[in-house]
Amino acid sequence: MRKTSSLLVIFLSLASFAFAQAPTATPAPATPPAAASSPAAAATAITNADLKGIAAPDPKVRANGDPNGDLTGNVSDITVADPITDKTPKAKGLTIGDIANQVGQNKIAINFVWTLVTGFLVMFMQAGFAVVETGLCRAKNANHTMMMNFMVYGVGMLAYWLIGFAIQEGGVGAVANLGGSPVLSREFVVTLFGKPFGLWGQGGYFLMHGGAYDVFVMVLFLFQMVFMDTALTIVTGAAAERWKYAAFMASSFVMGAFTYPLFANWAWGGGWLANLGANFGLGHGYADFAGSGVVHAVGGITALAVSMLIGPRIGKFTRQGKPVAMPGHDLVIVLTGCFILAFGWFGFNPGSTLGASGNGNLRIGSIAVNTMLAGMTGSFGAMLYMWLRYGKPDASMTGNGLLAGLVAITAPSGFVNPVGSCILGLIAGVLVCLSVEFVEKVLKIDDPVGAISVHGTNGLWGVICVGLFADGKSDYGGSWGGVNGAVTGLFYGDAGQLVAQLIGCATLIGFVFSFSFVLNWIIDAVVGQRVGSKAELEGLDLPEMGALCYPEFALKPEATGA
Amino acid sequence: MIIAGIIVTLLGFLVAVASLGMTASVSGRMILVLIGLAVSLGGIIGVLNPAYLKNAIWKR
Repeated sequence: MRKTSSLLVIFLSLASFAFAQAPTATPAPATPPAAASSPAAAATAITNADLKGIAAPDPKVRANGDPNGDLTGNVSDITVADPITDKTPKAKGLTIGDIANQVGQNKIAINFVWTLVTGFLVMFMQAGFAVVETGLCRAKNANHTMMMNFMVYGVGMLAYWLIGFAIQEGGVGAVANLGGSPVLSREFVVTLFGKPFGLWGQGGYFLMHGGAYDVFVMVLFLFQMVFMDTALTIVTGAAAERWKYAAFMASSFVMGAFTYPLFANWAWGGGWLANLGANFGLGHGYADFAGSGVVHAVGGITALAVSMLIGPRIGKFTRQGKPVAMPGHDLVIVLTGCFILAFGWFGFNPGSTLGASGNGNLRIGSIAVNTMLAGMTGSFGAMLYMWLRYGKPDASMTGNGLLAGLVAITAPSGFVNPVGSCILGLIAGVLVCLSVEFVEKVLKIDDPVGAISVHGTNGLWGVICVGLFADGKSDYGGSWGGVNGAVTGLFYGDAGQLVAQLIGCATLIGFVFSFSFVLNWIIDAVVGQRVGSKAELEGLDLPEMGALCYPEFALKPEATGA
Repeated sequence: MIIAGIIVTLLGFLVAVASLGMTASVSGRMILVLIGLAVSLGGIIGVLNPAYLKNAIWKR
């Protein structure tokens, strides 16, 4: 009997657990029926008279301290619109309007804090990129590579503050999650095929022009600025060990001022790509949740243009064109940097909701989990590929596999489910290995850190993944790209979304590449992109930077290739 | 050859954009965009890169 009872209890427990996890057959209504229909609900409505009866804690009690926090944060912390003063003795005191204002400000405050803190995380990714790239380069170029990664932050920020932000976000319009301020509403628009094509923003120069001295604009600038800098720092890896420092400065400035902001405007700033759904019926338009295309593909494709322009390092290819391995000098900092980047990605993707409260923003948990899952499967994909193909689980490629998975999930992170994330991450991990081999063996382009493959190839893959794996379950305020409903990919029934994503890819490969190439071609003609052979062989630390990174270590060329 | 490569690469982008006005069908646009992508990739891989490889540092 006791045994039967125990079994019954276990069965009931499991059954209740199963029912708790099972999806409901019909979606729950937005408003609980009881609250909507019960007359008692109306009787509990708060009135201004109720509010007048709420007493703040006695100041004498507060004077004794508040060790458990019961007294801190109460009605006295809500600002009263018309406080009773000597001049207005008949003021109303606390009203429903005051509370509504406080609730609204709390919501926006949560979103501001969320966006700022995630922006701080993304900023820290600069450190990750710096050590990954430096570790994958030879010791004789460590100072030069670190300095490029260090100063790309300042150069990019300057360009973006002066010009880039206005081009990207000058016409973005009101962002509901950040308070709905209309100060950035100047988009340059042309008409093509009878539809408006937004091309660039025209407001917010110096964060002062056209009312841009605004709390919302400051939050948006910080968040978008660190994204832009991420794109810029991708190029420094691909061009490392032979890029003239002055050319790097000029190239990074024009990328932060023009190349990145232009495409970012088209995708995120109210430009024509984002409106492909509303104007041409292609799904929800080009959808790039956190920037596989905007950040990573722009960076990777610019890296391809610059690498092609400046040519490979001396000794990278034999006279027959066979690639020669040039191992980096510190795998410890490479993999540490990968972890720093993976940590920063929790700012990159979940932060791209631009809020944590309202408009479906509680999906941040799902976005964070998708991010970590794709990174995990990406590292597995690369490690297993290298292990099976070359007999060893290569460390640097495993690190690149992690990054490839993270790059690929960046665009779809807000639209896909965990299984989709794992699949696309796994493919990204294999794809990065194949791409590295293709770039090196077929194109004969030298990319010391694999930036073209990690960010370019997998950035494009991430963009395509939105058009394949988006499951139609996300709901960010009921619409995306000016089209009602959720972003849905081909596997869930919307082929138009895939076409919009492919137009984004064609823009990245066709326009962004050409634009970057021409800009860097001009820089090459004016200042020269490549260092001299003597400086390259000696290592760029002394000729370009004037100091060795590791002055107390004797570098042995015959042993290390340094 | 370098200028030709840039022109071909840009041409692919223009084909993809032109698909928006040339047809209203999803499959028609898909085909045109894929053609555009192929043209752009051809411009980079088939024209521009070989132009640079002609004078590659490892061939000297």
